[in-house]
Amino acid sequence: MPLTRRSFVQLSIGSMLSTSAGRLLAQGVSPHKAQSMARPPASGRPFNAHFVDIASAAGLRAPVIYGGVENKKYILESTGCGCAFFDYDNDGWIDIFLLCGTRLGGDPPEATNRLYKNNRDGTFTDVTEKSGLGAVGWASGVCVGDYNNDGFEDLFCTYFGQNRLYRNNGDGTFTDVTKAVGLWNDQPRWGAGCSFVDYNRDGHLDLFVSNYVRFSFEHAPVPGENSNCNWKGVPVECGPRGLPTGRHSLYRNNGDGTFTDVSQQAGIAKATESYGMTVVAADFDEDGWPDIFVACDSTPSLLFMNNHDGTFREEGVVRGVSLSDDGMEQAGMGVGVGDYDLDGHLDLFKTHFAEDANGLYHNDGKGNFDDVTRAARIGVETRYICWGAGIVDLDNDGHPDIFMVTGNVYPEVERKLPQYPNKTPRAVFRNLGNRIFEELGQEAGPAVTEPHCSRGCAFGDFDNDGDVDILIVNLNEPPSLLRNDLKGKQNWIKVKLEGVKSNRSAIGARVLVRYGGKVQSQAMLSQSSFYSSNDPRLHFGLGAAGSADIEVYWPNGFHEKLKGIPANQLVTVREGAGIVPSRGWASKK
Amino acid sequence: MLRVSEKLAGKVCVALVAVLLLSCAYCQVPASEVSAISRALQSQDFSQALALLHPALQKFPADARLWAMQGTAYAGEGHKQDALTSFSTALKISPDYLPALQGAAQIEFDDANPAAIPILERLLRLRPVDPTGHAMLAVLQYQQGNCKDAVPHFEKAGALFDSRASALHAYATCLVKQKKFEQASKVFQRAVALYPDDRRERQLLAAIQLMAHQPREALATLQPTQDNPDAESLELTATAYEDSRETPQAVATLRRAILLDPRNLNLYLDFANISSAHDSFQVGVDVVSDGIAQLPQAAPLYLARGVLYVQLAQYDKAEADFESAHNLDPRQSLSSAAQGLLAAQKDDLDRALSTVQAKLAAKPKDALLLYLQADFLLQKGAEPGTPEFQLALRSARQAVALQPTLGGARTVLAKLYLQAGNYADAVEQCRKALAHDPKDQTALYHLIQGLRKSGKQEEIPDLLKSLAALRKEAAREQSQRYQYKVVEDETQSQ
Repeated sequence: MPLTRRSFVQLSIGSMLSTSAGRLLAQGVSPHKAQSMARPPASGRPFNAHFVDIASAAGLRAPVIYGGVENKKYILESTGCGCAFFDYDNDGWIDIFLLCGTRLGGDPPEATNRLYKNNRDGTFTDVTEKSGLGAVGWASGVCVGDYNNDGFEDLFCTYFGQNRLYRNNGDGTFTDVTKAVGLWNDQPRWGAGCSFVDYNRDGHLDLFVSNYVRFSFEHAPVPGENSNCNWKGVPVECGPRGLPTGRHSLYRNNGDGTFTDVSQQAGIAKATESYGMTVVAADFDEDGWPDIFVACDSTPSLLFMNNHDGTFREEGVVRGVSLSDDGMEQAGMGVGVGDYDLDGHLDLFKTHFAEDANGLYHNDGKGNFDDVTRAARIGVETRYICWGAGIVDLDNDGHPDIFMVTGNVYPEVERKLPQYPNKTPRAVFRNLGNRIFEELGQEAGPAVTEPHCSRGCAFGDFDNDGDVDILIVNLNEPPSLLRNDLKGKQNWIKVKLEGVKSNRSAIGARVLVRYGGKVQSQAMLSQSSFYSSNDPRLHFGLGAAGSADIEVYWPNGFHEKLKGIPANQLVTVREGAGIVPSRGWASKK
Repeated sequence: MLRVSEKLAGKVCVALVAVLLLSCAYCQVPASEVSAISRALQSQDFSQALALLHPALQKFPADARLWAMQGTAYAGEGHKQDALTSFSTALKISPDYLPALQGAAQIEFDDANPAAIPILERLLRLRPVDPTGHAMLAVLQYQQGNCKDAVPHFEKAGALFDSRASALHAYATCLVKQKKFEQASKVFQRAVALYPDDRRERQLLAAIQLMAHQPREALATLQPTQDNPDAESLELTATAYEDSRETPQAVATLRRAILLDPRNLNLYLDFANISSAHDSFQVGVDVVSDGIAQLPQAAPLYLARGVLYVQLAQYDKAEADFESAHNLDPRQSLSSAAQGLLAAQKDDLDRALSTVQAKLAAKPKDALLLYLQADFLLQKGAEPGTPEFQLALRSARQAVALQPTLGGARTVLAKLYLQAGNYADAVEQCRKALAHDPKDQTALYHLIQGLRKSGKQEEIPDLLKSLAALRKEAAREQSQRYQYKVVEDETQSQ
């Protein structure tokens, strides 16, 4: 009888060798592994963006405290937090909001969220105390939006414990209205990503909050305690695998300054098995209604498609944006949204763990995605754990590039395995214009190659000089502020939207800009990158084009077209009224 | 085999004669003549029967019964060819004449001749409840390698095989081939019941029980062998313990087996497997090194140690071991493949590809190498319309044609088809991969994508549920795999 066990042993050895077998080491995060692609020869094309970290000179010197420096006992200490570029005082100059964590042994004195006012001269003033935004705790994400349509951007911050909604009083101060508006959680939760979104198109911003894991110090396992508490054989913090998954929440804005939890009736509560992180809300299938994408760690990411009736259906897997291209879970953390191939549709970029490729997903315009990571040559970089990211035109050549920040979650590992350092460089992928990207290092400036343990990052033009600068959260270090010293004479245009019937922040709007025979789509987002919020002025590099046509798809369905707008200016568009005077630019020093 | 013994031949003859005496539509001979021939046959006086039959057949050449009687007489004399000719003549006159069918089938069956198959099928159409006919047909189909056709007849043969270990083995083999492991285990238990003290029978049953994911049952089966165990029994016991998530016992048992039979290659391979599964690579390396000291010419041991070295990121040592494995057994695909995979593991896809292509030059029809060539090209980002993509497609197709069960190759081929927009072929490949391995998440995911892109939505909701279940199961298995760590000279749970 031909029954021998040898064949099984051989099969087993074969599976050990299989390229699709994934990593063989136990760990608490998705073990998906992607072989790094060979790096093609350098294109040799000059890159005009040049990033210099001016944080210290700009006055951003306080560290972002987050957990242990040498060791992390719990996953709570390692996921980190986000930041925001937003104009809290409506002076036309982008200010900075930085979240902060704390330490297990007690709150260090410098541990607080911080608001920095833009001095309009390349420096910032810490106005935390006056603003009322100072708070200590395990903060995660921030999303920005004018929830009460009073013309001032409000802040929602997620925490392990209690999330906080800060109403902008319009006088440089904020008030914590969490309880008053009905967003208080009876039980502590680990709020993670969040996004304001007008899902029912009533003109009032609703709120989506992802929750990461159900965590408690009492029940959390410690490093090495079980199979989810090891990485490469080194005992490390446990999770997220092995920890109970979070539950995501959708809060409807009642239009009177209060919110109601509608997670059940909207169908959001059905998604019970995911470790949710960054949330982006945009109209991916271009049906005029906002959809919601949640990057999830070690579980399939979620894509909630809007049913136009107050409910959603989750279709991430079938639409090709939940899993790797071989159908495996990945450690989804940060999300960039943009139109990398200039076909007018919103594509997605999702950051992942080390030894896996970050994912670039091409949208066919109907909300169906193809994983083009390898075709676009993004797969050359698999060395780092990647977090905040954006699809942004760094050099104003009219082709959106990709920027991301990196940093380890296990600082103790580098002592045993030096090939996995805690601090790692940033990554720039310049768009070569043919759906292919080229990774750059020093060519993009010294700030790109400097190693840090980074998490959130936000993109915006803090010095109003017509390019994209970058704010980065570094754990247990001061933040980085990457000023873009752009060379050359490429053109650009910025679009600021003011909703009238739509929500005032115009969150959910989609803007198409046509220039030089190209068309580029961008969305007005409340959160993206990693737990962060970008400059609300949408920035389009135009290359050599001296003017552009602008189309705005407003959240409430109104479609507006503006023809032949000259380049190199900020254009403020009010819903139904066309172009109105912009704030800030005229007063630039 | 269901080979009819001489004693049994006599019984069959008597039985046939009894049937021959029954009425017959094509029979013309007077009863008195038939009666004399029958008596001769019943008394096994076949020469007398033949003497009576020759004149009778001259008078009544169209009498099927006489031809069948002649066939029986010739068979009794041992003249198989003459017997077969006589039965065939009878069947030409009366195609459904049972005695002729039975006689012809028996002769062909005794010679293991597949010509018996259509005869038996005709016979079973006439007499569907004929355990002997089903048994003969089952064995013949098995001999022809047609397990799919054999299994229903094995089932209908009922208890006829209960006293025939070889037939039970054949039945169980067919069930294993069809991946009906639980059923196979039940059938093989009947064989063990025949020879409860036969160690080999128990080992085979345990092996089937392990395939059926019944490790506790396998341990029970092997229990009687444990007083005076041999290495093979211990090896199976170790596997059963490991499958029962009793890793410390598995490792201790394997160590006993190695002490008992230090030149048994398989034991070291098993140890390598367990070490790898439990993230205990260095212990695996040490034990496999002991094996290499015992068996310095065993290519699989170098291969296994090389794999363990890869996990320890000791690539130079891994490379040396893969080279040794290849030199010791150049025909073996895995060592060649491992060399390419090592380069891939080091994120050097160019080298991985060139290594595999160099091996392919010597072995152009090696399915595994062709699969890897396709996979590496795909991982390098080969795009539709490029020569690299075409080469990947050709390689994957060839790999699948050469080794249809190579699931990874089908998965790569499906992915290439998806990229090329050839969704129907992608779907087909995914279905075939899933038929081979229903737990193949990648194939299932690609199937969902292929169906979605070709606008065929009906199946997708159920497939999504299956994918979710598979993911959950995979995560659970992964977590459990790493629950223990194997350490030098002892085991401990972490």
